[in-house]
Amino acid sequence: MAAAGSIEDFASVRAQLECACRHLTLASPVALDQASEVLNSAARQMAELQSRLPEQAGNPAALEEAWRVRRAFLRTRTLLYSAAAFHGNWTRVRGAISGGYTRTGEPGPVLYASRLCLQA
Amino acid sequence: MANLLASLISSADTLQAYGSVLETAQNNVSNASTPGYAKQRTSLYALPFDPEGGATGGVRAGDLQSSRNEYAEQAVRQQNTGMGYEQQMVDSLTPLQSQFDVSGNQGIPAALNNLFESFSAWATTPNNDASRQTVLDRAGQVASAFQQTANAIGVQATNAEQQIRQTVDQVNQLTSQLANYNQIALQGNKDDAGLSAQVHATLEQLSQYVDITTSFQDDGSVSVLMNGETPLVIEDKQYRISAGLYQPQDPPPTYPNSPASMQVLSSDGSDITAKTTGGQLGALLEVRNQSLASLIGDAYQPGDLNTMAEQFADRVNQVLTAGNISDGPPPVSGVPLFTYDTTNDTAVAQSLSVDPSVTTDQLATIDPGPPYVSNGVPLGLSQLATPVQDADKINGVSYNQYYGQMAGRVGSQLDDATNRQQVQQSLLAQAKELRDQYSGVSLDEEATILIQFQRAYQANSRFITVLDQLTQSTIDILQP
Repeated sequence: MAAAGSIEDFASVRAQLECACRHLTLASPVALDQASEVLNSAARQMAELQSRLPEQAGNPAALEEAWRVRRAFLRTRTLLYSAAAFHGNWTRVRGAISGGYTRTGEPGPVLYASRLCLQA
Repeated sequence: MANLLASLISSADTLQAYGSVLETAQNNVSNASTPGYAKQRTSLYALPFDPEGGATGGVRAGDLQSSRNEYAEQAVRQQNTGMGYEQQMVDSLTPLQSQFDVSGNQGIPAALNNLFESFSAWATTPNNDASRQTVLDRAGQVASAFQQTANAIGVQATNAEQQIRQTVDQVNQLTSQLANYNQIALQGNKDDAGLSAQVHATLEQLSQYVDITTSFQDDGSVSVLMNGETPLVIEDKQYRISAGLYQPQDPPPTYPNSPASMQVLSSDGSDITAKTTGGQLGALLEVRNQSLASLIGDAYQPGDLNTMAEQFADRVNQVLTAGNISDGPPPVSGVPLFTYDTTNDTAVAQSLSVDPSVTTDQLATIDPGPPYVSNGVPLGLSQLATPVQDADKINGVSYNQYYGQMAGRVGSQLDDATNRQQVQQSLLAQAKELRDQYSGVSLDEEATILIQFQRAYQANSRFITVLDQLTQSTIDILQP
């Protein structure tokens, strides 16, 4: 019974990670906020599960489900890093376009305010 | 009266300006489904308003501006290249995996098990002609199974070669189109939204085949490089790539009669095979020159299937020829059962057969020892199923296990590719979403997005760190 319970918990965590993946795929600020709520919940559930794990050691069904959770997590992480890389690199590109390069060769900082619009 | 006229002129200018905006909007709606089209917008400029000075105010339409963000476009193309690679790996490895049955019910493992059973039955009734005939029949089935698998993999290698040539043709066709578009742009049409849509749709298509980097020039043309360094298109010139079979010579080949490898050449004849690792072409080259070659051989390796066929045939022949058909005097030695092309180590599996001249009474039964064992040869052969001594093993494992490792490698390659393909699908969808988000966004809106994202990213990455530790420690605890 305990094994079934753990497997259901793993499945629930995995479902949450897959939900986070969908939000991260959308990648809008709102979707990212939603992803962080889901990830928070998944992390809590996973932490609660830890105390019950030793009794499941060596259970192949539990291990298989744990691997599924791990794969779903890796997918989630890849999507988050990819979105982060997109925005991070764009910030650098924009910095270089608008502010040139610093003395150390880094792109200049992006200035969000006090822009001047020149018109001929 | 003068003021009234000025007002009328101002109103007319304003109507004209809004007319331009409406035309642009209408054009955007009409092209909503046009591949590669990015929305355009007309900027409106406020005119000075000073009635006493004669400035009547109002608005005037400015230039058309494209909402395309080249950075976001490049990100989509990059993920498209990844998708092309993973999809092709799955497509190519799926039929390969079907050649490797791990259930033991068909193909090489089934034929081997049947032969091992026939050795055991022969050991029980060593002088029974039917048992000996079964051994000959089953040995023939083993040879056929090796031949069929080698031929099927050979067909896949040929298919991969054909696909590589077709993919190269597709690349050349698309780069030719891009060179034509560049020519149109260079003739003074660089701001044509339709042309830009065609260029971007073509680039997106091209990116699924090969890894490309693009740079848009001030003259409106686009330069396209493959693998970051090989020119494909510069201004209105196309640089064609080509593909063909080749036998590497440096270092000199260990197996000169092996199946040739596939090579991709740039327009100046340089070998760019090793650098071509992205897109469908990268995957096809990897499958053809790495995955398939590891099974059926190339200039520097015999291929696992050939190694297995050769070692198995040699071991069976060795046991049979070490035995005696009769005690004599003089004792009559056994004859080898399997034959294969000994001149080419990379063609053993496909040439493996049972010597048709061998008859049932030529199968040696007696192990002269010491100790002398009347049914020692079939007993020794049946040991091949669960080998104890090193001579009965291949690379330290049984023949079935060796085959299992080969099949497992193909299966795990496919499994990895399938997982990566699923992730890549999400990454491509994400890149397209991000492109849409940045399309038509003003700098101020964009700044808001970046700030919001930064905050959300920090929140998410905290949970990611925690989940990384928790999911890994879970596996560590559960693993036996």
